[in-house]
Amino acid sequence: MDDSGPEHDSVPRRICQLSVHMLSISGAGISMVTKTGNRGVVCATDDVSARIEDLQFTLGEGPCVDAAQFGAPVMVPDLRTPDDIVVDRWPAFLEGAGAAGVRAVFAFPLRIGAINVGVLDAYRSVPGPLRDGQLRAALLAADAAALALLDIDPTGDLFSDNADARSTYQLQVHQATGIVQVQLEIPTEEAFLMLRARAFALGRPLVDVATDVVARRLRFSVEDQ
Amino acid sequence: MSSGDVAGGSAQDRDREQLLAETFVVLADTLVDDYDVVDLLHQLVDACVNLLGVTAAGLLLDDQRGNLAVVASSNEETRLLEVLQLQSDAGPCLDCVRSGVPVSVDDLEADQNRWPVFAAAAMSAGFRSVAAVPLRLRSETIGALNMFHGAPHPVPLNDRRLAQALADVATIGILQRRSTHRSAMMAEQLQHALNSRVVIEQAKGVLAERNGVDMDTAFNALRRYARNHNRKLSELAMEVVRGEIDPSSVQTERRVT
Repeated sequence: MDDSGPEHDSVPRRICQLSVHMLSISGAGISMVTKTGNRGVVCATDDVSARIEDLQFTLGEGPCVDAAQFGAPVMVPDLRTPDDIVVDRWPAFLEGAGAAGVRAVFAFPLRIGAINVGVLDAYRSVPGPLRDGQLRAALLAADAAALALLDIDPTGDLFSDNADARSTYQLQVHQATGIVQVQLEIPTEEAFLMLRARAFALGRPLVDVATDVVARRLRFSVEDQ
Repeated sequence: MSSGDVAGGSAQDRDREQLLAETFVVLADTLVDDYDVVDLLHQLVDACVNLLGVTAAGLLLDDQRGNLAVVASSNEETRLLEVLQLQSDAGPCLDCVRSGVPVSVDDLEADQNRWPVFAAAAMSAGFRSVAAVPLRLRSETIGALNMFHGAPHPVPLNDRRLAQALADVATIGILQRRSTHRSAMMAEQLQHALNSRVVIEQAKGVLAERNGVDMDTAFNALRRYARNHNRKLSELAMEVVRGEIDPSSVQTERRVT
């Protein structure tokens, strides 16, 4: 994969490169789910990663497909001894990935509740699970990638849990997202962006603005936008 | 076992025993079926409030990113959520998850220095005592069940055991739930539960705004609709957020008795 992509995919690319470094994996890739349900490869660190992404699009099966569908990570530490259900679900993927030299696959959905932006895929040419610290890094990388694909630059150290990243996990933020979605009659991901943009414009923490929205102290109206 | 542990003869004790039996029958029924994790966890915090007579209860899970995330709470008041969420930094739940053993403070006013920020927030929300029991599987602690009382309140031994039993059911509920595609690993199950809760929050926001109700009312309507129509709470929530189901039809759902 060349490095001459448009500016907006430089952050996903950096996330993939950092993931390879931090997770002791052989390669990583990010694919995106568009609003129309189509998918496309955003970036991949090497040919095998690109091949894994392509395989799954072509076959319509594999860990990345399941991760996107079920909204949970799918981890297969050894493709040669997968459980029976995996063998049943991804027969063609297992064959193709095995031929490409892949032994372990880890797929993380890029998701914020109902907002589904894509998947971060990692592979390794030797088998073995992710260790605890690596799992944490992978989840944080997926969080950062989700924000990056939503066009929010996750500034600062991608793998540190700064205050703003943490506020993504506060329930008021998601309640407020649902409220703003109705107030502006826009899709969920846009409502989430609007909320963040408002917090940024006001110079206030996201969770504080969200709490005001939930408490009905702050309304979004179409005229304001 | 001390004499105080013997099932008593008072009417109150018998009522509670009856309630306890009913609770576990309902939970057992849920666990053998295809259930929704977040719904089960809400049943558990509700059971905790009913059985143990606490003022409020919440359930936090290790989000595997270094935070504790709220997945269930006995009410939807922002004040309670804030007190629960504060414990990502410091509080009885964080101590409980780190140590894997129960943590409790009988009177927060007399013991404010242990977690000053948490204690102040809890007291301003009207709580005076707090207890946390771990959600444990073998050597791993995946979260904690958190209970609050409005008055200084040492937790009796029996109640502590019962709280731990409820926490154990929660652990089983989270980790035993078979995902539809494969026997899943702990991380997959935890992340699924956490994301389901986020979808439900988004759906509550949609319902609250569309129908002009508060978060508690929106959530109760969502649960009631899911139950009456034999639907999974998180799948229904997803449809609400995506606009695939009319929010007003969820709100007008009647209670089935």
